[in-house]
Amino acid sequence: MKRMHFLYRMQLAFSQAVHDHHFLIRCIPMEDGIQKREHFSCRITPADTLDQVADGFGNQGYAGAVRGPHDGLSVLAQGIVRICGTDRREPLHPVYRFPSAYTVPGETIRRFLDETGQELGRQPADLAGLKFLMNRLAGRFSYVPGVTSVKTRAEEALAGGQGVCQDYAHIFISLCRLAGVPARYVAGMITGEGQTHAWAEAWLDGAWHGFDPTNSRMADETYIRLTHGRDFADGAVDKGCFLGFASQTQQILVKVEETA
Amino acid sequence: MKELVGHMEGINRLMARYGVKFGIYRNKEFHEQLFPFDPLARVITAEEFAYLERGLVQRVDALNAFLADIYKDKKIVGDGVIPEDFIFSSKGYLPQCEGVTPPGNIYSHISGIDLVQARDKSWYILEDNLRIPSGASYPMIARELTRQASPETFTHNCLVDNRNYADLLKEVMDRVSTGGINVVLTPGRYNAAFFEHSYLAERSGAVLAMPQDLYVEGNRLYYRQYQGTDQQVGTVYRRISDEYLDPLCFEPESLIGVPGIMDVYRSGHVALVNAPGNGVADDKGIYYFVPHMIRYYLGQEAILKNAPTYLAFYEKDRRFILEHLERLVIKDVSEAGGYGVVFGRDLSREKLEELKGIIAGEPRRFIAQEVIDFIDLDIVDGGGTAPRKADLRAFVLSSGTTRVWASGLTRFSRNPDSFVVNSSQGGGFKDTWVLSQ
Repeated sequence: MKRMHFLYRMQLAFSQAVHDHHFLIRCIPMEDGIQKREHFSCRITPADTLDQVADGFGNQGYAGAVRGPHDGLSVLAQGIVRICGTDRREPLHPVYRFPSAYTVPGETIRRFLDETGQELGRQPADLAGLKFLMNRLAGRFSYVPGVTSVKTRAEEALAGGQGVCQDYAHIFISLCRLAGVPARYVAGMITGEGQTHAWAEAWLDGAWHGFDPTNSRMADETYIRLTHGRDFADGAVDKGCFLGFASQTQQILVKVEETA
Repeated sequence: MKELVGHMEGINRLMARYGVKFGIYRNKEFHEQLFPFDPLARVITAEEFAYLERGLVQRVDALNAFLADIYKDKKIVGDGVIPEDFIFSSKGYLPQCEGVTPPGNIYSHISGIDLVQARDKSWYILEDNLRIPSGASYPMIARELTRQASPETFTHNCLVDNRNYADLLKEVMDRVSTGGINVVLTPGRYNAAFFEHSYLAERSGAVLAMPQDLYVEGNRLYYRQYQGTDQQVGTVYRRISDEYLDPLCFEPESLIGVPGIMDVYRSGHVALVNAPGNGVADDKGIYYFVPHMIRYYLGQEAILKNAPTYLAFYEKDRRFILEHLERLVIKDVSEAGGYGVVFGRDLSREKLEELKGIIAGEPRRFIAQEVIDFIDLDIVDGGGTAPRKADLRAFVLSSGTTRVWASGLTRFSRNPDSFVVNSSQGGGFKDTWVLSQ
C-alpha cells in the first residue's frame, strides 16, 4: 500500500480575451477497488458554472463555463490518494478489443508485432510476452517532445520513431489489440515533478495490468489514475472550447510524492 | 389522380418558392437543388398498409429493445446471437452512451425504414435509418399543395389523411420531455435538410433553435430568449449528428454543438430525439441481424423480409460472395447515403478481381445482397409517363406505443438505369397514398 500526495496545477492563458468558454477538467483521481481518495480539493477560477460530471467510461470531472470576457483559467487540485495493489479485477468491456481512432494498426505496427513474435518465438499475448514487447518498443521508439502532437496516431508515431508518453501508450495499445489482448488508455500522474502522464493497461487473466511503455516498466502503486478510455480522445484530462480570436498557452505542473 | 399532372409545374414552382430544397456537398461545395415532385402518387391499399404496419412496428420495437440492451446488459452478445465485432467495432457504437437510460427508455423515436416492393409484390426492407432520418416534410408539403391545387382529387379518392405527422411528432416530444419547451435543433441553413427542420418546427409547435441559442447551466439545458427569461428545454429534436452534438464529449472541433449537452442528457434532465448512439443499430452490417433480434427480443418471426444478405465476415458467406460477385450488390458498411454501393454486374473483370481482393482482406467491412428486381412506378415524362425504380421510406414513431405514419416518402431515380434512389444521388419524390378502404 502506498499513500501518494499529489498536486495538479493548470494555467491556461489566452493572447486576448475570449468568452463563452466551456471546459471539462478531469483531475479527480478515480475511485476503484485499488485506488481511493483520502483527501481531495480542487479550485477552478474563474467559473460561472461548475458541475461534477461523469462519462460512459466512469471518468469523473468538472464541467464548467465562463461566459464573459476573460484571459485565462486556472486549476489547482491537490490531495492524498491511497493505492493498494496493481491488478484491477474488472469485467472486460468488449470495446477494448477493437482498434479505436488513434490506434488503428498500419503497416509499421503490423510489421513490428510480426518481428516481435518471431524474436520471441510466439505471439506476445501473455504477461511475459507483453513485457518483452514493451522492452522491444523502448529500443525502437525514443522519447522526444515536440515531434508529435495531440492528433498523432499510433501508426504515424511509430513510423516516425519519436514521440511522447501519449504516443507510447497508443502504439502499445494498438500492438496489444492486434495481438488479441484487450487494452485501454490511462491518463494519470507519476512520482516527481512534470506533466500528466499516459500509459496503457492490458487485460489478461481477468484483470487489467498497467504497462508504462514510456518508462519501460509496469505501473505500480505509485501511479495515480485519473481517466481511462479507448485512447486519448476518451482519456484527455482537460478539454475546452471558447469564442474569440485568441491563441492559448497551457502550463501544467504535476507534483507527486509518497507520504507516510 | 391524372388530373394532378396538369398541376405539376405549378406545385413544383410553389415548392421552389417555399424553399423545399435539398442541399448536397459536391467537391466540398454546398449546392442547393430542388427535389422534383412527381404528381403520380404511390398508392398503398388499406390491407397492404395494415400488413406493412405490423411488420414495421415489430421491426422498430426489436431495434429499440436491441439499443436498450447494447448500452446496458449486452445480453444478445453474451448469448452469442450477434458477434461482438458487429457492435463494438461499429462506428455507430458510442461508448460515451454506456449506462444512460434515455427518458422513456426509447432510443429510436423517429425511424425511417426504407423498403422496396419486388415484382411479385412482396416487400423487402432495404435499410433502417435510426439516427436522423429525413424526408417526412416532403410528402407533407406535397399533400398540402396538391390539396390546394385540386381539392376534388381528395374527395373522389378515399385516402387516409397524412396531415397528422406533426401531431405524432409533437406527441413523441411531449411524451419523453423532462419538463420544458420542445426545440428542433438545426445546424443552420447550410444543411441538406434545412427546409425540413424549419417546417417540422413550425408544424409541431416546437422552437427552431440554432446551436448558439442553447446553453447548459446547472445540469439543465436552456433556450436563450433575447427578451425575457430563458426557458428550460425538455426535448431536443436534434438534427445534428452524434459526433457534432457536444464538443466536450465527441468531436472537439465541432462548432455546431452545444457544450455540455451530453452531461445533461446523461443525468436525465433532457430528452434527445433520437438518442445518440443509435448508429450501432442501423449500419449495413447489423442489418443482417435484425431478423435475429426480432426472434431474440420478441419471440416472433420477422413479418417483413430482409433482402437476401451475405456477410463476408462468415466464411461460408464469403466464399459465396466471391463466387457470385457479378450478380450481387456489394455494400461497404462504413458508408451511408447511397455511397459505397457497387453492383457486381457493372464491373469490368479487372475491377471484379480487385474488389474480391479487398473483400477477402477486410471481410468485416462488406455485405453483399441479391439484387432485388423491384417494381417500377410511373412518373410523368414529357407528354406521357415513364417507369422508374422507386423505394419507400416509411416513418415509424415511438412514444411508448409505436405507430406508422400513414404516408411516407416515395423516392425515384431520375436515371432510367439506376437502382439507387437516395436523394443525395439525385432523383425526385412522390406522395404516398394510403387508401382508407
